[in-house]
Amino acid sequence: MKVLLIGSGGREHALAKLIKRSLLEPRLFIAMDYRNPGLEREAIERNGMAYIVNLIDPMAIAKVVEEVSPDLIIIGPEEPQFHGVVDALREKGFTVFGASRRCAEIEKSKVYARTLMWRHSIDGRLYFKAFRSIEEAKKFIEFAGDIVIKPARQAGGKGVKVLKDAQAYLAKDRLEVKKNYVEKLFAEMDSYKDIDYKILVEQRVEGVEYTAMVVTDGETVLPLPLVQDHPHAFEFDIGPETGGMGSIQGPGWLLPFVTFDEYRKTFEIISNVLKVLQTEVREPYVGAFAGQMMLTGFWGPTVIEFYSRFGDPELSNIIPVVESDFLEILDRAANRRLSSVKLMIDESIVTIVKAIAPAGYPDNRKLASGHPVYIDEARIREIGCETLYASVERRADGKLYTKGSRAIEIVCKGDSYEEVYKKSELAVNFVYSLDGHPLFYRRDIGSEELLSNRMRIAEKVRTVYRSRVANGLLGKMLVWIPGEGVFDNPLISFVR
Amino acid sequence: MSGLLTVYAFDELWSLPNIVRYGLIALQHRGSQKYVICLPSNGVKCIEGEDIEISNYAIDHLAVLASYSDKEDNIFYVESDNDKSIAVIAERSWSKIYEFTHELLNEMKKGESSLEAFKTTILAFNKEFDEAIPSLQIITNFREVIAWRNFHGLTPLVLGSYGFDMAIVSSESIAVDILGGDVKKFLGPGEGLYMSRYLTKSFLIDKYIDCGLCLFEMLYLARHDAIINGVSVYEFRKAIGKELAQYLDKEVDIVVGVPETALPYAIGFAQKIGKPFELAFVATGGRRRSMLLGDPFEKMVAIHLKMNPIKSILEGKRIALIDDSMVTGATLKTVSQILRFRIGVRELHLFIASPPLASICPFMVMKLDVQNLLAANLSNDLAKSYLEVDSLHWLSKDNVNQVAKRFSLKFCGKCFGVDFFGG
Repeated sequence: MKVLLIGSGGREHALAKLIKRSLLEPRLFIAMDYRNPGLEREAIERNGMAYIVNLIDPMAIAKVVEEVSPDLIIIGPEEPQFHGVVDALREKGFTVFGASRRCAEIEKSKVYARTLMWRHSIDGRLYFKAFRSIEEAKKFIEFAGDIVIKPARQAGGKGVKVLKDAQAYLAKDRLEVKKNYVEKLFAEMDSYKDIDYKILVEQRVEGVEYTAMVVTDGETVLPLPLVQDHPHAFEFDIGPETGGMGSIQGPGWLLPFVTFDEYRKTFEIISNVLKVLQTEVREPYVGAFAGQMMLTGFWGPTVIEFYSRFGDPELSNIIPVVESDFLEILDRAANRRLSSVKLMIDESIVTIVKAIAPAGYPDNRKLASGHPVYIDEARIREIGCETLYASVERRADGKLYTKGSRAIEIVCKGDSYEEVYKKSELAVNFVYSLDGHPLFYRRDIGSEELLSNRMRIAEKVRTVYRSRVANGLLGKMLVWIPGEGVFDNPLISFVR
Repeated sequence: MSGLLTVYAFDELWSLPNIVRYGLIALQHRGSQKYVICLPSNGVKCIEGEDIEISNYAIDHLAVLASYSDKEDNIFYVESDNDKSIAVIAERSWSKIYEFTHELLNEMKKGESSLEAFKTTILAFNKEFDEAIPSLQIITNFREVIAWRNFHGLTPLVLGSYGFDMAIVSSESIAVDILGGDVKKFLGPGEGLYMSRYLTKSFLIDKYIDCGLCLFEMLYLARHDAIINGVSVYEFRKAIGKELAQYLDKEVDIVVGVPETALPYAIGFAQKIGKPFELAFVATGGRRRSMLLGDPFEKMVAIHLKMNPIKSILEGKRIALIDDSMVTGATLKTVSQILRFRIGVRELHLFIASPPLASICPFMVMKLDVQNLLAANLSNDLAKSYLEVDSLHWLSKDNVNQVAKRFSLKFCGKCFGVDFFGG
């Protein structure tokens, strides 16, 4: 079976690892933006080859596809979906695993995703307001309270500003930041010509985050085990937002801080969203889909955003866990024959993924780029962990250089978090900077300390949302403005 | 005593003057006699001041600061050499601060990273000098900050954050709360945080010193709403109050605590014996921490201002009076005089929620002078007569030990005449 994988990063390396052990004996071809050494190697090992091509150019990709003539095309990242690559390939009669441009709107436009949830009264939705013009946004911000400001379009998992505003004595300082950030974000979003709304102001919620991924053929929804990502750049959940500095999974389908009821509710939300999305766009959703969820006091399982693809690094956790033939599952989904397929996993193990990034990531990609690194993969394998190559390229001199994002992901598995944590802490030592530029990773990910913190927060949040259920207030937030009335809108500040 | 605070904003959109001001206000109970703020500004500069409420400086995205209960010296130092400037802030007066700053700068000039230079210098000073190194905050003109908790673990250090935007390090969780942040970690002895715009990481200088938290943190210094090393200060104080109740051997009508610190002890005591807890005194002019004041006159002013009694509830009653500790006895003498002469209480039984203070603090965390310590100089009978109380009871060292163990805490007990409590 000839498989063409489209994408260049850690997620695609994870996909390649999952695919290559298939009994379908795939020949693996890869289309990527840059020479990812991991992907290149997987392709060669599986009797295929790697192409360097602009991944958001449907014409360029079509050329590769015609040359390879694959039985199955798997799309890793979201940008090719946004640019109609999937549609162009399907039109040519190829079998594609990946969301069409219209289906991928659920990730591309956060306004669309939120509006969809409100239009169909789907649980786990947050209050929001979207803006086309900077003036309108700044005027609204003047009276907004405890909020999150986001780009209205998916912008590489960045740009979210969480502005907790529950202290009147600091409200003015925060208002300044809100206004300046709105300006900055508008300027940044200006380069995206494919969206109408530029920014989104959303109700701020607190709790524990987790990612719920599924594979779907448009009818059957096949959940993967839950994974928890760690978006803060630095240890103990401090510092700027990243695409994810690591993730934990297991044991089994749940995470230690998510109950079975919450798990069920989460996939109920995801199935409902997939259903109404397909009704609205009148196209089947074929591919990977994920909810970036948060367990909050407001709703219980709450949607932060959707991905029209697998999470990165979340998919990496799945590599050691899956027992089924993953390629067969993707192939059946792409051929819309997913019903009756069961995903088997090893429920006894837990997995930890740690990302290693060059200093400068995520806020100064230039500073983080072009640094030579060396990975002693053999030593990492000895410890029992796997190495995934992400934002790192092989240059003509044969050496590996950082490209500004997370360079390497290390995937470890074992019987308990304690054991896997130890392994992962050993393994990260075998990634070296060759020019003295610092590399960093998060030591706290997978630690007992962080895990027990999460469990404590989840327990608190559970108490809150259960009492809201009892009082009929789940998902509601009333604000009374004397003289004007009672509004169901938490975006209004306490000071007017 | 003092409160340390670091605020590091990763986003340049922030401007910190107001945040720094409220951070200092949040630490006022740990000392409000003097404060120091160090920030990058053409190198590094430090600003000293005395009135937190009116402080207003241009502070961009990062600052390290501290508030002190005394107008003491040797608490901060700035040094520059060519293109490198650093400021060091210590949590208490430290005679080696000048040498330390100088040596640290020398290490940094050797081309080491600031963090490695800091580790090297700390280890060298720990070896060379007997004096315990206090917790430190360092700031460089390269906009790096190091906040480090001392090896002895005498005073706490907490790591917190605000969204994706800010790291906050403070002596007490309160400052993180007041700035709208979340507490993320209680740093252990020798543990610290290195912060820079593009790289922030925790580190540990591993040099085991068998010591513990200063008992006065829990007894007196921290606010009731603080969490120290994961333990609620309020709950700890109530538990101590309950323990203290076992020494009651007479009938009393009501239980009263000396404001403000002793209130949770009195609540725990009252709950244990099933008698009403009553508010007995109302303060005038805001909270002032009499024990932290060095000047005896200012101390008396503070005591007198916080002791206006609620007469009707106290008149003719048999009273169990609770206080957290007794150093010189000045506060309790004042209280007993008010209760006796101005009110006319029937009986006054005094319960101290700590063992008698026997010696000085070898770490200079507490400024104690043996000749002023009531318990070290007067017999219990003489103390009873001096204070005009019907009975005087102290919590035993064993009691403290048990409560400490229950909360999995380990305390330094040097000034009480033992090495440790709990552990």
